[in-house]
Amino acid sequence: MAYNTAMKILVVDDFATMRRIIKGILRQLGMEDVEEAEDGQQAFKKLQAGKFDFLITDWNMPNCTGLELLKMVRSDPKLKAIPVLMVTAEAEKEQVVEAIKAGVNNYVMKPFTSDTLKQKLDKIFNK
Amino acid sequence: MSDEMDEIISDFLIETTEIVEDLSQKFVELEQDKDNQELVNGIFRSVHTIKGASGFLGFNQMVQLTHITESVLKKIKDGEILLTPPVMDVILGSIDMVKVLLEHIKAKDGVEEDLTDILALLQGVYDQAGGQVEVQAAPAETTATTGGAGPTLEELDALMEAQSDQLLRPVGEILVEEGAVTTDEVDDALKIQTMIRESVDVGEVPKVGDILEATNKVSKEEVKKALSKQPPSEKDKQPQVEQTIRVDVERLDNVLNLVGELVLARNRLMKVVSNLEVKYADNADMAPLAELTAFINLITTDLQLAVMKTRMQPVRKVFNKFPRMVRDLARSMQKDVELTLFGEETELDKSIIEEIGDPLVHLVRNSVDHGIEMPDVRAAAGKPRGGTVLLSAYQEGNNIVLSIEDNGKGIDVEMLKGKILEKGLAGQDELERMSEKEILDFIFMPGFSTATIVSDVSGRGVGMDVVKTNISKLNGTITIETEKGKGTKFLLRLPLTLAIIQALMVGVGNEMFAVPLASVVETVRIDPSNIKTIRGQETVILRDEIVPVHRLANKFFIPAASSNGGHKMYLVVILIGEKKFGMMVDKLFGQEEVVIKSIEGFSNSSEGIAGATITGDGKVVLILDPSVIFVGDLRA
Repeated sequence: MAYNTAMKILVVDDFATMRRIIKGILRQLGMEDVEEAEDGQQAFKKLQAGKFDFLITDWNMPNCTGLELLKMVRSDPKLKAIPVLMVTAEAEKEQVVEAIKAGVNNYVMKPFTSDTLKQKLDKIFNK
Repeated sequence: MSDEMDEIISDFLIETTEIVEDLSQKFVELEQDKDNQELVNGIFRSVHTIKGASGFLGFNQMVQLTHITESVLKKIKDGEILLTPPVMDVILGSIDMVKVLLEHIKAKDGVEEDLTDILALLQGVYDQAGGQVEVQAAPAETTATTGGAGPTLEELDALMEAQSDQLLRPVGEILVEEGAVTTDEVDDALKIQTMIRESVDVGEVPKVGDILEATNKVSKEEVKKALSKQPPSEKDKQPQVEQTIRVDVERLDNVLNLVGELVLARNRLMKVVSNLEVKYADNADMAPLAELTAFINLITTDLQLAVMKTRMQPVRKVFNKFPRMVRDLARSMQKDVELTLFGEETELDKSIIEEIGDPLVHLVRNSVDHGIEMPDVRAAAGKPRGGTVLLSAYQEGNNIVLSIEDNGKGIDVEMLKGKILEKGLAGQDELERMSEKEILDFIFMPGFSTATIVSDVSGRGVGMDVVKTNISKLNGTITIETEKGKGTKFLLRLPLTLAIIQALMVGVGNEMFAVPLASVVETVRIDPSNIKTIRGQETVILRDEIVPVHRLANKFFIPAASSNGGHKMYLVVILIGEKKFGMMVDKLFGQEEVVIKSIEGFSNSSEGIAGATITGDGKVVLILDPSVIFVGDLRA
């Protein structure tokens, strides 16, 4: 299934500036239906409440990390099929392994451009 | 896009500034609690976050600085570098540089700082643990190609491919555990799933359970059972997530202003209704009207409080900078001082939060500098070598109390007396008659300093009087409690809000004025014939104290209502800081709660007018600012 610009996307990051940046990049790719959450717990609530097609989450967050969020999503009957993209930094490569084991669909390293994100989306949705 | 960029950058600045303020405190906490892994993680994450966003926004110097700082923090986190005070100095230095860089970003001046020194220092710390860090951080979009520990990107991608087909495994695993299916059957189902996924490009990929069910390997019930056994999604034990939105202060001020208008209208309404009640007591509509008015009264009060709350901020905002300040101060004076904060969550109006910082800085400095003794001196006096400064905030009725308490040497009242005599501020017999409190209050006199040696930290002779004046301006008070050898405590009492004050309504001629009650000491009836002119200044003697007298009528060029001299007048005695004076008025109307409205196009305070208000009966009344109204006439 190819991704489309009408997808409803949830962006999770504890840093509002990062959320805005990611939203901006998504907008460049034509995706406008984007909601935000500032940590894993809030994100999980939103995911349960609304029909999201795609989850982009930061990894290093207080309270509920991206990994914990991913595990919660993957073990929820309704949500477990949702594609998840992990946003990470170069220093966190070990965490990528953990994330892959936990079932992340792909990862992208900060900072990234709209081209990089597009490639990742292609990889996730055009499998 | 550039507008959006500006918005993102301004968001970045707000958020990063908050993070950095928070960081300073966390670092100082960390120095005292070196093994607090959670604290280290939090700090690491903060720096990491700043780096991440800076990378996107192209703030390369910030990336460079935070990158190496992050590397050092990682080593601390992993226990490879010990957090000694010198290491802490370097890290704090780097945080200071982050602040400088933020200022440049804010100013959009494009100025580049020379980072050589701080980078070298950080590198030095990093090298202690052995190993190299690339000082040159990856600028935007040279996606990670080089080194670092852990797997390479290729390995990660390969791993990614290998695992992605197995995302839905758990259901199968559970079914195997239940003995409903075999591992092979699950693997088959997974293969079928992969095939479907690869061949069908639209629509949903069937679930493993569904496939197993469709191929008659398991029953619907068994799948359901297995699904229910999947790990609980933890949703039940989640605490409430705090929902917040950022609102421009201007909008809040606007709302507050409107509520102020509403309160004034409410006051008028109540007055009108109570008049009507007397006039038309028998009218059938009167009772519902009175009832409705009472209801509106109640709602308005609640609304007012609710709006006030939106402007409240935790005092933490101010307290945050103190751990770092006390640490640096103590280190520079070779003292051992521990700062304890209490009640940081106590809330105060934003405008008070903004004004209270400087006075608090002065008081805390004072405690560290003059209060806490050198370790040896403390030991000799049988006290622990380390001193403590307790900074606390709590609510007390309609006031917020901030207290700065140290367990240092206390204020030597006898020494203070000597100083007062020496400066000729009071005579020996005057001092004899004064209470300890009155003597301590001399500390707030302009130019009075008790420090025998003027240090560069505090005690320059400016300060305490300024502190007191600033607190008075906020309609607050300050008091001292001290015990020689045990310590000193400064208590600041501040109003919850500045927008509504209790005022004394006074009359001069046909004019009415409001005087903030916080600065009124007393009102006395005086006979104008008792006023004596001393060196051109009118004064009156109040219980053996000479009080300068100012006529409000003269200040505002109001012709006296009854020009026949000799009639009784009232003196409103005002205390601002340590300055006491009397304000002569014709009438006293009593106390009223007034909402301060600023007067547009009028430079308020220089003229001694704090604003205006509308009274219950609809009159516009000027609110006086006693701290400056007679400033020209005041002699220290």
